[in-house]
Amino acid sequence: MENSDMTDQINILLVDDEDDFRRILSKRLTRRGFYIRQADRGENAIQMLEEESADIVILDIKMPGMDGIECLRRIKKMPGMTEVIMLTGHADIQGGVEGIKSGAFDYLSKPVELEHLIRKIKQAHHKMQRIQAEKEEAAFKERVTQQMVVAERLVALGTMASGVAHEINNPLAVIQDSAGWLQQILDKPQMQDMPRRDDFQKGLERIEKAVKRAGKITQQLLQAVKTQTTEMADPSSFVETDLHKLAQEAVTLVEPEASLRNISISLTSREPHPSAWTDPLQLLQVLLNLLSNSVQATDDGGQVFINLAATLEEAKIIVKDNGCGISKENLARIFEPFFTTKEADQGTGMGLYVSWGIITSLGGLIAVESEVSKGTTFTITLPVKK
Amino acid sequence: MFKTPSHILLVDDEKDFVEMLSLRLQENGEDVLAAYNGQECLDTLEKKTIDVIILDVKMPGMDGIETLKKVKKLHPLVEVIMLTGHGTIQAAVEGMKLGAFDFLLKPADFKELTEKLKRARERRKEHMERIQKAEAAMLLRQSKI
Ligand SMILES: Nc1ncnc2c1ncn2[C@@H]1O[C@H](COP(=O)(O)OP(=O)(O)OP(=O)(O)O)[C@@H](O)[C@H]1O
Ligand SMILES: [Mg+2]
Repeated sequence: MENSDMTDQINILLVDDEDDFRRILSKRLTRRGFYIRQADRGENAIQMLEEESADIVILDIKMPGMDGIECLRRIKKMPGMTEVIMLTGHADIQGGVEGIKSGAFDYLSKPVELEHLIRKIKQAHHKMQRIQAEKEEAAFKERVTQQMVVAERLVALGTMASGVAHEINNPLAVIQDSAGWLQQILDKPQMQDMPRRDDFQKGLERIEKAVKRAGKITQQLLQAVKTQTTEMADPSSFVETDLHKLAQEAVTLVEPEASLRNISISLTSREPHPSAWTDPLQLLQVLLNLLSNSVQATDDGGQVFINLAATLEEAKIIVKDNGCGISKENLARIFEPFFTTKEADQGTGMGLYVSWGIITSLGGLIAVESEVSKGTTFTITLPVKK
Repeated sequence: MFKTPSHILLVDDEKDFVEMLSLRLQENGEDVLAAYNGQECLDTLEKKTIDVIILDVKMPGMDGIETLKKVKKLHPLVEVIMLTGHGTIQAAVEGMKLGAFDFLLKPADFKELTEKLKRARERRKEHMERIQKAEAAMLLRQSKI
């Protein structure tokens, strides 16, 4: 079966030093719908490929300057999956064989028969597509395995951390009540004239503040672990949720912080009313975490985008910024509980861990792509049906 | 302002916690007794008049829920406030079903705790008053026969 006749999607570079031959062949191939560029020398061909890669290069072996074989070797070293068809002089089987040894798809000897060449082009293109599909599949498998490894790690970390949090809650309660007791005493009328009363007051306030903070951390952690270990979120809190409205709400809440630093947040959606059957409060929490991360990662005057799209099967929520980005080492760890690059009072490293737990329990996926000093994109995929 | 102290029984296996919370409640003029496990709690109830119990859900041996069941069976008029950790909120719900007055997450906010204590005590008072009225009515009817 003919694979397809979408010849215009095949991008070809034709390299030959014989101008007449090259122009005529180019014209004929163009007429058959291929997208053709021309080069008259090996050196030029390499330069053109560096600017815009090609699917297929048709390459004359015998050229002044850089010859076909040398040019072929360079092309094979370039990134991309370009296939090369060599053109050899009449009866130059030697050159053709050498070309194949160096990675050419095949060779044709001049004079070239057009139909024959077109068949070869299609075969080469077919091979290219197959390799590309294989590569994509391998990359997909790799991503899935990685996500599974991450998930297992996070669950293990969460279990451990929640054990610690439980144990810490008791001494925290003791600290809180000890400080509270002293405060009660300090508030008595007969204590008003106590020496250095203000210092005591100050110390007690610090203790109270720190205990509150510690309590909040253990609370968040236990909350996050709970949402994951119950596997699925409580379905009674699911409602048909207008994602655009929800995202708008999240933007409104983060906007004050953003506008202080001149950061714009723009919300777009592909459909007028993208919606999903989900838990709106939990999802709002995730959006707030992602947005505040983006705002914090972005320089003054930066940009944050939220993009929504929903089909009958799934909804996609994309939060993108042009902020500082995340290094490769950190990228592998950002979903861990307590992983943070921020100062102690700026972040506890719970935001993404909590978000991951919520999205997982809602039956969705959260993925990230990032490039240092370019920006970061978080993509949430959620099921939308009951 | 003068207020009559509530008789509070604090039940928790964490001694430091019991001690500190007792001190705070006493500082507020309450009368506080301590028990460090479920059995001690039941023993104390036999000997003393208690208005409100503050009961930790997680204790070794007889746990909070078991203790609550026995308290409600033997002393139905005593009000119980449950103390729970985050992971044990389920137990709080179960406790409410079994007749606990309310619950608090640990570490509990002291203001919230005193507020709940006050309401628990009021409920107990109303409850007792209604029983007294009913008893009086019953006596009255009996004397007429
Ligand atoms: N949009 C982003 N751009 C750059 N780095 C990010 C972004 N989002 C997250 N990060 C990195 O991931 C880390 C973990 O994020 P997470 O939200 O879990 O914790 P946090 O923001 O540090 O603290 P918290 O959210 O608890 O206040 C951050 O400290 C930061 O280094
Ligand atoms: Mg964060």
